[in-house]
Amino acid sequence: MTESPTHIEFIIGEEKRLSDIVGKLEIEPLLRSALKLGINRVALLDEDERVLVALGESIVEQQGMCSEIRLPILVEGEPKGTLLLASAGQIPGLEAIARLLQDSLQLTVTNNLKRMLTTEVHTSIVQESYEQLVSTNHRLMESERRYRTLARDLEIKVKERTAELQQAYQRMLQQEKLAAVGQLAAGMAHEINTPLGFIHSNLNSFAKYQNRMAEMLGLYRLLLAKETSPETIKQQTEQRWKELKLDFLLEDSGVLLGQSLEGADRIATIVAQLKGFAHLDGMEQQSMDLQHELKQLLAGLAPQLPPNSRITTDLQPLPPLVCRVPLLLQAFANILDNAIKSRSEGLELTVYARQESDLILVAISDNGCGIPAENLPHIFEPFFTTRPVGSGSGMGLTVAREAIIGAGGSIEVESLAGQGTTCRVTLPHG
Amino acid sequence: MIEFDEAQKRLVLKLVYYGPALSGKTTNLLCLHDTLQQDGRGELMMLDTTEDRTIYFDLLPFFYVAPSGLKIKLKVYTVPGQVRHDATRKAVLQRADGVVFIADSQISQQSINAESFANLEQNLSLVGLDLEKLPLVIQFNKRDLSELVTEEELRTTWEPTGLPVLMASALQGWGVLETFQAAVEGLFDSLDQKLQLLERFQVDRDDFVATLTKAKKL
Ligand SMILES: Nc1nc2c(ncn2[C@@H]2O[C@H](COP(=O)(O)OP(=O)(O)OP(=O)(O)O)[C@@H](O)[C@H]2O)c(=O)[nH]1
Ligand SMILES: [Mg+2]
Repeated sequence: MTESPTHIEFIIGEEKRLSDIVGKLEIEPLLRSALKLGINRVALLDEDERVLVALGESIVEQQGMCSEIRLPILVEGEPKGTLLLASAGQIPGLEAIARLLQDSLQLTVTNNLKRMLTTEVHTSIVQESYEQLVSTNHRLMESERRYRTLARDLEIKVKERTAELQQAYQRMLQQEKLAAVGQLAAGMAHEINTPLGFIHSNLNSFAKYQNRMAEMLGLYRLLLAKETSPETIKQQTEQRWKELKLDFLLEDSGVLLGQSLEGADRIATIVAQLKGFAHLDGMEQQSMDLQHELKQLLAGLAPQLPPNSRITTDLQPLPPLVCRVPLLLQAFANILDNAIKSRSEGLELTVYARQESDLILVAISDNGCGIPAENLPHIFEPFFTTRPVGSGSGMGLTVAREAIIGAGGSIEVESLAGQGTTCRVTLPHG
Repeated sequence: MIEFDEAQKRLVLKLVYYGPALSGKTTNLLCLHDTLQQDGRGELMMLDTTEDRTIYFDLLPFFYVAPSGLKIKLKVYTVPGQVRHDATRKAVLQRADGVVFIADSQISQQSINAESFANLEQNLSLVGLDLEKLPLVIQFNKRDLSELVTEEELRTTWEPTGLPVLMASALQGWGVLETFQAAVEGLFDSLDQKLQLLERFQVDRDDFVATLTKAKKL
């Protein structure tokens, strides 16, 4: 982009010709006044003796009588022109007239020259500012071009950066999941540790109880072997029985063992969920009647419902579904479990199931606490939970989705915080 | 160089009197005009001035004709010293063959001298001239005043540059011609280098300088 203007260079004080400085029209009136005084011919010649202006008639014929005067016209002190006056006869004061004419011509030339020089300075300044303007403009265009390139580069960079960010985000998600695995591990450890803890302490206590029971039995055996009278046996054993607090021991043993069994069951459940999530077991595909299974599930859940609950169902007959039955049952159990835990009382649970062409549609709605919008994108992430550690594994919906997707279906969750949640499960059959 | 026409045997040179405002550039030219013989020079042309301050420039032309017929015209210009006329200074400086820097000797004016000198350097480079290669003469003017930087001090400062440094009072008329002469000598030397003036056109240095600096007979 080098669009320089057509450059007219003004060098201050560049040499000028007389014809550059004065024009014919300007001088003619001056010269004409000489004619009026009786001079036959007046002319201004340039530096090459060429006529710039000439007035009057030629007087070549009348030789001898003629008188001619030539006077120089200076430009910057240099003779650049000649004023020529010729007269046929003797004219009194010709010389004086010539000088007068020379002076006024000289004045015109000098004034014109000054004006020209002044103009040159102006032009040169104006030109400089014009050139400055042009170069400023050029610079501006240049920078605009650079900005445009920059903007384009920027777009590319933004795209690259976006891709990088997405990768980073993905990595971050991965890390988040890894972190969540940690959280799960912590949760699991807690979940398992609690029952494990009381199983351990229960068994410890039971071991002590068992010692005392063994001692009691040993005493019976000893007394019987001595063939002691029943009265004595009774008396001695009754006393020892009390000393060993066997009434309490026997009662407490039942409690301890019951609790331990319960704890073992809890651990088993947790492990089962984990295994389900990790697809650890190669479960067989089986046919399942979902309508029937849902009814069963709902019936089984009845004891866990909060006070004043109402369940509305519309479960239509469904075609058989071939799937890993326990996993899918677990999925629906988890969804229903969430619904039940969404409200501490007055739960309204609605469960619909119907067939639509080759799809089975199940919708489970509650009027519970709902899921805040910011949490919605995370609900299927493994180990995401809003409940405190220990009260839920954060695996419920993850397990459910895994199972449903595993069966070729999909799950959608719609929720409004404070108003309720609807889970829609779509499953293909056949 | 404004013009060099070998066919026409014509050489037009430019010498520029530069310097801060009111340092006496115009006064220098006036003084030259008054002291030098009339036949070697033209008239002093002063373009519009307001109260002594040059707005455009002053011009005093000199003429020399070598035995070979080469006509040399030396145009001596002053620039307007006022800071705001920088564009004009730059315009006048174009194609200069030599520079005379007129400094004001008063102690109070030294930073202004320095500024103007820096401005000269800058403008020379802007118009494509090299200060190092250009004949340059320094004049410390107004030596008739008091509170001046001493000559000794000025000489110690300027001696190392090798430039001709002259003391003057343009008002009283001394030192002006010497300054001009130093400039003309410098001009001749630099031109002789470029154009072989002596060899090709029989321009004799002494004659050239003497002609251009011939004072009026009293
Ligand atoms: N005392 C004294 N005054 C001087 C001398 N030379 C010049 N002046 C005065 O300084 C004033 C300015 O002088 P000029 O010659 O117009 O200055 P300049 O450098 O042409 O100024 P600009 O045209 O504005 O750049 C005038 O009043 C001069 O009389 C000097 O040698 N001594
Ligand atoms: Mg001046």
